[in-house]
Amino acid sequence: MASVLERVVAVTARVLRLDPAEIRPEHSFAADLGAESVQSIELVAMFEEEFGIDMDEQEALSVETVGAAAEYIAGVCRKQGIPTEP
Amino acid sequence: MQLVLVDSPEEIRRGFHPLSLSRPIWELRCGITSLKEKLIARTRPAGVACFVAPYMADAYRARAGCPVNDASALSGDDLLIIDPRVKADAFDVPTTGPSEVGLDGEGRVLYARIARYDLGRLPPAGGGIDALLSAAKVKFPCVAARLPAWRYAWDLMLASPDQVAADFAAAGRFGIEGAVEQPCAVRGSRNDVYVAPGAVVHPMVVIDAGQGPVYVDEGAEILPFTRIEGPCYIGPKSVLLGAKCRAGNSFGPHCRVGGEVEASVIQGYTNKYHDGFLGHAYVGEWVNLGALTTNSDLKNDYSAVSVNMDGRRSIDTGSAKVGCLVGDHVKTSIGTLFNTGAYVGAMAVIMATGKPLPKFIPSFAWLIEGVVTKGFGKGKLYETARTVMARRGREWTAAEQAMWDAVYAFTAGPRDEAVRRGRRIMAKP
Repeated sequence: MASVLERVVAVTARVLRLDPAEIRPEHSFAADLGAESVQSIELVAMFEEEFGIDMDEQEALSVETVGAAAEYIAGVCRKQGIPTEP
Repeated sequence: MQLVLVDSPEEIRRGFHPLSLSRPIWELRCGITSLKEKLIARTRPAGVACFVAPYMADAYRARAGCPVNDASALSGDDLLIIDPRVKADAFDVPTTGPSEVGLDGEGRVLYARIARYDLGRLPPAGGGIDALLSAAKVKFPCVAARLPAWRYAWDLMLASPDQVAADFAAAGRFGIEGAVEQPCAVRGSRNDVYVAPGAVVHPMVVIDAGQGPVYVDEGAEILPFTRIEGPCYIGPKSVLLGAKCRAGNSFGPHCRVGGEVEASVIQGYTNKYHDGFLGHAYVGEWVNLGALTTNSDLKNDYSAVSVNMDGRRSIDTGSAKVGCLVGDHVKTSIGTLFNTGAYVGAMAVIMATGKPLPKFIPSFAWLIEGVVTKGFGKGKLYETARTVMARRGREWTAAEQAMWDAVYAFTAGPRDEAVRRGRRIMAKP
């Protein structure tokens, strides 16, 4: 199973129509990857679908970078008892 | 006699969603006035008190103008307790007399007339309205009340055009007391037109009272190239901006209305500034309909329109003409297209794609790319509501927010289901 970060990168690439190889953990969704506000909402929805979790939308939307999103999602998975490791 | 309005149980109130999510049923409009105003006019009480769902009591108290959920109002006078579903025009029960309880076919209280001298036979008022009504059903004669009652929000919208005409006649006002700037064309009898003091009708306006009366209330402003067909009511300080205002509308206070509107009720404080068709609709307060927002109000096969009020079950309205029901604080983007009989929950935000939208949109939903999402959450919606209300001199209070928090909680089921469905749709390659 891919890591949380790899899965976050894959979802981000799909939603923002980017090459996954171009996405780095330190990249900001808005400033570096060009996510519009509507796409941020779509990203939150797609992360929830990918990981089978339920995120607080205001908390989730305050996360700025790809790496921070992976950390935040890993934390939510732990809290909600969703396994992320093989 | 004290008139006591007791809002219906939740299973009844659901029939008036999304409008009744944030107000008791009697605040809904039909014709020129609200159901409460009609019941007061019919029964002529010395005083009025009301009992609402606890979650909205604090918010409603600030605007009710009468005691709310105050048990002390249940003593000291004859009581006439009425469920606001009862149609005022048909309420033919003597308002004073021996104590009596009128029940509907399912045993629910439609009215209770309790003589002052009988109050001592009932539990102390502090026990609350439910205890008092339960005891009244035991202590006093119960009769089968054959009183017509409102059942759904669209009933009010469909009855509103005729009710405007009836309310106009009951008000007994006609003529020009405000300013009508020339040239202005009035068709039909001038006795069927009333322009209240402070109202201004600009030049190049057509008021067509040939098929029904037109009532322009205090401080309203009708801008050039507006055409108003009666029956029609324009509420205080509302503005029509070159509107094609077809027959049967009732607009509450402080609305801004443009485009084409037909046979619709707008509760108040709502903007439909731009072009776009609104027909056979009931729209709440603090709504903004973006340019070209349009609803269908007639199916291609002319069959009866159904409305889905909970995301599960559709209800046949029995009418071929039903547009949309739009809850308070809804915001639509440009080009929004509502399907025939659409239910748009309160606080929903619609970012349209140009395609007709789902017929059921849950409260607090953010509809993006045709699917329901969590969007930016309710905090952002509250920020917007605070801004919008301040623009009209109204405050977003802690009580208001607490009421909406409660609405958010009890409307979660269909919304969460729609959000999950939306995620699955978005995830499809």
